[in-house]
Amino acid sequence: MSMKRRTFIKAGAALTAASVAPAIVRAEEKVWRVGGSLPMTGPFATAGQLVAPALTDFTMMVNDAGGIGGKPMKIEVEDSGYIPKNALANFERALAGGPLHGYFGDSTGFMELVGPSLTGDKAVMMMSTSFASSLADPAKRPYQFMAGPSYQDQVEILLRDIADKGGETVALIYSDSEFGRDPIPHARKICEALGLRIVLEEVTKTAGADIESHVTKLAQANPEYAILQGYVTGVWPQLIGAARAFGLPTQFMGTFWGMEKVVADRVTDQAGPFLDGYQGVMPYRYFYDMEDAPYYQEVNAWKKNQNPDFPGYIVTWALEAYINLLIWKKSMEMTIEADKPITADNLMASMRAINDWDTRGFFGKPVSLAEHKIGQGRVYRYSAESKLFTPVSDWIET
Amino acid sequence: MITGNFKTSYAADESLWNNWAKRYGFVLAVVFLLVLPLFADNYVLLLAGQIAIYVIAVTGVNVLVGYTGLMSLGHGAFFAVGAYTTVILHQYVEHLFPLITLLVSIVVAAGFGFLFGLPSLRVKGLYLAVATLSANFIILFFIRQDWAAPWTGGRQGIETPNAMFFGQEMLSNTQKYYFIIPICLAMVLFAQNLFRTRFGRALIGIRDNDHSAEILGISLYAYKLKSFAISAAYCGAAGSLWAYFFPAILPEDFSLNLSITLVVCLIAGGMGRTLGPVFGTLLILLIPEMLKIVSGWATGGDGRALIHFSSIRDIVFGLIIILFLIFEPMGLVSIWDRFWRVVARWPFSK
Repeated sequence: MSMKRRTFIKAGAALTAASVAPAIVRAEEKVWRVGGSLPMTGPFATAGQLVAPALTDFTMMVNDAGGIGGKPMKIEVEDSGYIPKNALANFERALAGGPLHGYFGDSTGFMELVGPSLTGDKAVMMMSTSFASSLADPAKRPYQFMAGPSYQDQVEILLRDIADKGGETVALIYSDSEFGRDPIPHARKICEALGLRIVLEEVTKTAGADIESHVTKLAQANPEYAILQGYVTGVWPQLIGAARAFGLPTQFMGTFWGMEKVVADRVTDQAGPFLDGYQGVMPYRYFYDMEDAPYYQEVNAWKKNQNPDFPGYIVTWALEAYINLLIWKKSMEMTIEADKPITADNLMASMRAINDWDTRGFFGKPVSLAEHKIGQGRVYRYSAESKLFTPVSDWIET
Repeated sequence: MITGNFKTSYAADESLWNNWAKRYGFVLAVVFLLVLPLFADNYVLLLAGQIAIYVIAVTGVNVLVGYTGLMSLGHGAFFAVGAYTTVILHQYVEHLFPLITLLVSIVVAAGFGFLFGLPSLRVKGLYLAVATLSANFIILFFIRQDWAAPWTGGRQGIETPNAMFFGQEMLSNTQKYYFIIPICLAMVLFAQNLFRTRFGRALIGIRDNDHSAEILGISLYAYKLKSFAISAAYCGAAGSLWAYFFPAILPEDFSLNLSITLVVCLIAGGMGRTLGPVFGTLLILLIPEMLKIVSGWATGGDGRALIHFSSIRDIVFGLIIILFLIFEPMGLVSIWDRFWRVVARWPFSK
């Protein structure tokens, strides 16, 4: 009898220790840790170097406001050089450095590479710079999400806008990359459904494309609209410039990475006002359009407080980082409020439960994240005179 | 007093390690590799697995460049052939035994090596380097095509299978490590032995003076092609292991950059020596990681500070390589030789 009692006491003590242990572990977590890989060197260093300060600013703002659930957050960014296996090594190192509550990836390549291994202890809520359609797949990629519409959605928004405006012919011009080709099959289907005729599909190099040859083909097809996909800073301005020099009336349209004001301004300053009238889809409100964006106003005030010389503009690529981290923060808060442990599964469940959420400026309509993406965007037009992108459509949902 | 490695028997002449220091050094290295997963985290094992795979590929490049004297800038493509062969084989036979896949990948890569080695019959030196460049472009071109996407995943890349041994799936980095390391050791030892055979010595003869070698009865065509095939086979094996090691493969993994990195690893380590690929790979893969760790400590992961440190890091890496090539043009292996000479002759040497 006494043995049984001892066994019972021992078992009870062991169970108590086991049940208390996670609480102790949780108590040891002094900060919410987010890792990140960005291309600080390599071909997309410009983008990485513009996004990196946004991650730091977001962290400082959150911590200034008392952190998340009373605990501060910390972001540890590493350079990937835009090489997926470097980013994977960064991710593994971040994991080895202690509990990791979120991760910011730098490319579609990295997200594809790391996706299948996000299981068990390695499961981490993961956001990225990518809008690749394959990443918005709750079944196949349960821990990854995108803070905006996929490339397929973005091209669909443009095609719908074209159809609404009575357009009939379209050219699809895209880079010979996974980034460029991503939305093309979907674009073909949407064109067919909307009654739009694709008069040209032209594949170009990602950089150093043979502009004259492409513009000659464009002139032969003479489409009303040309959608450009798969470019960041190069090719698309040269294509538009050469087409304008050729006297083509085609209306050019781009997607997120080809819609940055800083790039358009630089092209206008250096080569003239030929981008005037260029249009494209932008998931987020531009930062200067902050009248109806309380969050932008807060960021602007905070930045001005930090640096009185802050010019009042944040690049769209950095806005993407802000909204990604806001979604992560929202998921963290929902999980803490529900008194659940901070695990990747709980965070993703909280994220999927986000419904009709007012992002306070990023998007024009409330958003939901059940599909691990936000299928919403607006068409903007660039003015070389005001050097601003201004909206020419209402917010379109896909 | 030991003044050299004098051999007094045929057995001594044929021995793989000609002094006690090397013998025990090898044993220590094997023991270290065996116990590494006991104290290493996933990150260290990721790097260790990656280094082991690179060592196999660079050893292959060494067979061609270091021992046969033929230049190649196309071995990244043979690496890709091995990786995609593995993935495609598993599409048809899901639980194919990994060693069978490895063997098939080796054979297929060797076939491609044979094919792309054909120009070596007519050109050599820089001309051959340029000719072999085509392997990168041609093979990756086919991998990226939409019609090949059901097998290769096209531009988007493809998820890779996990190696499965007798119903046990290799999922963790530790399991993958223990799968890769023995193969790496075996392939390095095979290369070491290859150049103690008639065939290996013929390749060295071609490297040192191909006209003399031909006069001595060595068929240049046959031996050069075989060297290409063996070299590509090593890269095919590395590719196959790469496919098992990483959860997905992308065409970008096997770009020209990979081919150049393999050659750089070999030059940094020391050409025509078995340990050259090991040291070169350690140097070229570990220095950037170490610099990254240092910059991480210095910046605390702060994005703004990292902007300045990242460019400095690249400059430091470049400087290390330049200084290294100036002061150790024969590669890291020459430092290793000097070290063991001192150890073996201590206290009579300095």
